[in-house]
Amino acid sequence: MTAPLLEVDDLCVRLRTPRGPAAVVNGLSYTVGEGETVAVVGESGSGKSVSVLALLGLLPTRSATVTGRALLRGEDLLTLPDDRLRRIRGAGVGMVFQDPMTSLNPVLTVGRQLVEGIRAHADVPRPAARDRAAELLGEVGLPDPRRALDRYPHELSGGMRQRVMIAIALSNSPSLLIADEATTALDVTVQAQILELVERLQRDHGTGVVWITHDLGVVAGIADRVLVMYGGRCVEDGTADDVLERPAHPYTRGLLGALPDLALDRDDGELATVPGTPPPPTDLPEGCVFWPRCPVRGDPRCETEQPPLAPVLRGGHGHDRREPPHRAATWCGEDEAPARGSGAAAAGRAP
Amino acid sequence: MTGYLLRRTGQSAVVLAGVSVIVFALVHLVPGDPVRLALGTRFDQATYDALLARSGLDQPLVQQFFGWAGRALTGDLGVSFRSGDPVTLLILERLPATVTLAFASLLVALLIAVPLGTVSALRPRTVVDRAATVFSQFGISVPDFWMGIVLILVFAGTLGWLPTGGYVPLGEDPLGWLQRLIMPAVVTGVVSGSVITRFVRSSVLEALGSDHVRTAEAKGLPRRQVLTWHVLRNALLPLVTVTGVQLAYLLSGVVVVEIVFAWPGLGQLALQSVQARDYPVLQGAILLFALVFLVINLLVDLLYTAIDPRIRR
Repeated sequence: MTAPLLEVDDLCVRLRTPRGPAAVVNGLSYTVGEGETVAVVGESGSGKSVSVLALLGLLPTRSATVTGRALLRGEDLLTLPDDRLRRIRGAGVGMVFQDPMTSLNPVLTVGRQLVEGIRAHADVPRPAARDRAAELLGEVGLPDPRRALDRYPHELSGGMRQRVMIAIALSNSPSLLIADEATTALDVTVQAQILELVERLQRDHGTGVVWITHDLGVVAGIADRVLVMYGGRCVEDGTADDVLERPAHPYTRGLLGALPDLALDRDDGELATVPGTPPPPTDLPEGCVFWPRCPVRGDPRCETEQPPLAPVLRGGHGHDRREPPHRAATWCGEDEAPARGSGAAAAGRAP
Repeated sequence: MTGYLLRRTGQSAVVLAGVSVIVFALVHLVPGDPVRLALGTRFDQATYDALLARSGLDQPLVQQFFGWAGRALTGDLGVSFRSGDPVTLLILERLPATVTLAFASLLVALLIAVPLGTVSALRPRTVVDRAATVFSQFGISVPDFWMGIVLILVFAGTLGWLPTGGYVPLGEDPLGWLQRLIMPAVVTGVVSGSVITRFVRSSVLEALGSDHVRTAEAKGLPRRQVLTWHVLRNALLPLVTVTGVQLAYLLSGVVVVEIVFAWPGLGQLALQSVQARDYPVLQGAILLFALVFLVINLLVDLLYTAIDPRIRR
């Protein structure tokens, strides 16, 4: 296997908050291959956004401490000097943020915001950058891209603005695209268009994508691999099929159980939820981070010891030898494994 | 755009008409008889009546108002009771001094406020920020006459570098003009600058925290470019508002500072006319102040549309 595009290793982020130090990301490790889409899933406050902002040094330097390693094509983003990191932002890694209403500067034209991004990384004259900008807007599906250059963000719809954001993120042909809840603020049809657009661009350019979302529907649509985050940790990762079809962690099962199922009539008509709220990063539980909300809690270690992220045992076959492995950080899986057998997937769906 | 301009000008005209009624009424409601004051202690009834008739004060108030307002439209604000000079002329005489001081003060204020407010927003809760806060609290709370007197004591008295006050036109004596301008401009500039600093700090802080600044950083723009085009550019709107208000205030004559520095501006003129119950001058001055406020507000609104495309209609 060739070296991955992005290799994040033991990423930790501590933030100073008025309520004391917050352990927002705790030892997160993952890789993204060239042209691969990795979905990072979790509730609000699970540390998803912070973990990617930290990679590009976009957290406030005064209050954030970032440790670990994040190799982009072998270069550690976390130890790069500011100037070198600036050159990677936009050129090596493009970012699309959640709210297209506020992520664009309201007082500058779309064209200007594209052109300045292009010219920050390439020494091209303004007219050429404008041509390139129009080309990009056409590529992301904006009608009449030439005229759109002179529009202000408020003159465009939410979906169009997000297309502009994507055009900006892709303007320097980055090898990695990070989409932070990029479709969350959009309505479903627009969301589908944006997903399609990103998939197409990814196919055309071979871009690696980190897609941060709490929407499992989106994950199922685009992800090659899924990483489930809870309390600043990765609690489960694996291929999209493994994680979505055969979830091993009680939290992942809870998330999947909370998906509304349109095809089946539920008898009680109520939506299943994961009871409780995520622990505040200022006060994480000592043992398994999910323990206080966990419906299983079968193991005495749950309360005292953090379970490691370990390959999921699949009944009868022992460790899964495939790459990438399906891993989960839970105590309950091991004990249940022998009895679980091939019914692991079924066990995920709580009755 | 033209429609907007016409509409706003029309609104301003209505406000000005309203203001003129209020000004006229207020001035005439102030106790004190200008004719008596003009005549001194010894006079006979005939002289009194003659002067009363000549100044038009024997007519009903409504008639007086329309007479005054009608002439004001043509630029004739009447004649001073005290000196007999046309009010327009008196105002025009004072205008250069006031305009000079106002713009010099504004320059000082912006030179203090923009860098100081920006730096303290960029380094919140640091020594620089706290020093800036102390400075602006000082500027806001210390009385301007006191600051003026201290400056005079130090720079005119002890050090003898600057004259204590007065005014010479720029054309006559550029050096003297500048020397006399420095202290009053610094005093009013520090006061205005302190107010503006707070606004700059909060609007830059707000801009810094906005999502589009994060986008700009994520694009890999150089820090300086992020600051100028995404932070300061967006913090401009509140700055323009507060600067407009400060300029209008400065142009309406900073009475106390003008008196401390013997600066022959409109503030002094207005104060003298109050003391002498010189109705025409007082009315003229207040009307001018109202006009200045309206014009500056109109300009600020027009600037808004230039700065923020969302306001354009």
